[in-house]
Amino acid sequence: MDTLLQILSPDFLLRDALVASVLVGLVCPLVGVYFVLRRMVFLGVALPQVSSAGIAFAFLVFNVVVGPHEPFQLSERVLALIGSFTFTLAATIILAYFEQRRAMVEARIGTAYAIAAAATILLLAKDPHGEAQLVHLLRGDILATTGTSLVWMAAIFAAVVFALFAFRKELLLVSFDRDLAVVFGKRPGLWDLVLYLLTGVVISLGVMTAGPIATFGFLIVPPVTMHLIAGRMLTFSLGAAALGALTAFGGFYCAYRFDLPLGPAEVALASIALAVVAGGSGLRRAIGRRGT
Amino acid sequence: MSPNLIELHNASFGYDTQPVLQHVSLSVERGEFTVLVGPNGAGKTTLLRGVLGLIPVLSGRVVYHFDRKASPPGYVPQRDSLDSIFPLSAMEVVLMGTYAKLPPLWPVGRAGRQRAAQCLEQVGLATMGKRPFWTLSGGQRQRVLIARALAAEPEVLFLDEPTAGVDHEAETAIAALITELNRTHGLTVMLVTHHLDRIRSSVHSTILVDDGVATRRRLDVQSAP
Repeated sequence: MDTLLQILSPDFLLRDALVASVLVGLVCPLVGVYFVLRRMVFLGVALPQVSSAGIAFAFLVFNVVVGPHEPFQLSERVLALIGSFTFTLAATIILAYFEQRRAMVEARIGTAYAIAAAATILLLAKDPHGEAQLVHLLRGDILATTGTSLVWMAAIFAAVVFALFAFRKELLLVSFDRDLAVVFGKRPGLWDLVLYLLTGVVISLGVMTAGPIATFGFLIVPPVTMHLIAGRMLTFSLGAAALGALTAFGGFYCAYRFDLPLGPAEVALASIALAVVAGGSGLRRAIGRRGT
Repeated sequence: MSPNLIELHNASFGYDTQPVLQHVSLSVERGEFTVLVGPNGAGKTTLLRGVLGLIPVLSGRVVYHFDRKASPPGYVPQRDSLDSIFPLSAMEVVLMGTYAKLPPLWPVGRAGRQRAAQCLEQVGLATMGKRPFWTLSGGQRQRVLIARALAAEPEVLFLDEPTAGVDHEAETAIAALITELNRTHGLTVMLVTHHLDRIRSSVHSTILVDDGVATRRRLDVQSAP
């Protein structure tokens, strides 16, 4: 209880990190619901890794062309964001294109993951400046979150959330019934691109803040959990976001209280929630079958 | 105003530049009930999708004598084309029909919700709006999709095998509903089906699709059995 009060205190030393963590937990599932609904879950595994490769690539190019970057400065985060976003968006568009063609989908995504993972390590090995800090950033350097970066992150995530809700009817229509969207003259390709742009932003910021493991966990686990119980789209989206935020907070509490790594603690907690809901849902179905 | 709602002039349709139907020239009149018939794989759905603009016209022309923006076509797809992974209520599915006339950033307002509720009532499912779409029976789901098509306030309704895979009773109810929409509400109907018997007396014309060719035949509704 003391730890909880300490975390909730306005003077809590890691308050910015806590808020950043909860924001990632809140926003990632809002994009993740489309990954689940479009049956693109494997993309959720590959893209955070691709994002990491983008960060490593941006640092290496900057180092070669301009010179060593300043560690722990805002400029470093901007540079990382540019690399991460560019790689994530390009990979999303390419992989989503092949996803629609339904040919060798798993193989392509697996290949993208393997290439991205190898490229990240190789690019890091070739960057002589501050490899240790880079590794921190690639794993998600949530403790490096400052007031300024938190404000930027909150503003960008707010814009993403606004776009997701403002365009929810278009995104739902092209995801659920692409033909009807064409009949209505809605240009599905354009709305796919909007979704991929938002996905790219969320994954880039998520990976830089919380790391690839937590980002993937929040993209997929809360939506999968809510899918077991939600009967409506709005309940599904909002429920997944709320569950993500809750498990992010809970994960942060556990990591702080028991001195655990943050990302894995958050994913573990989200997975426990999934197990509980799946168990309850299965039990309810079993009771329902007995009743009939 | 042209008596024809849709005209095809020497139109060819297909996939990846490979034509399935070639040199189709026919017209569909306003208020007409047209049924596309033919053997499996003959190209009935290809023709329907071509007329709707879902596949490109490889050559020739499709002319619409109605404003597709002001009165978007109502479309009921084949039942297997939708993914049951989407957690949607029946009302949420019907509301999609109202998206046709809404620009981006414009939410579905009270009028849209009322329209969707009326459409659900029109297909006999007024009390089913909150039910999860995928827990409904096959026939009920088809009626929800018809309600969704009606929510777009169309002049013409395109239906791709709406009675496939539903039981006898549901098939009769759906056939009666489509007939009523055509007769009472004056909706032009283009329907792909294998089961012409149940609606033969209501149909004005058939388009026989076979061997890459589509041939229209006008039926005498009064004398039909």
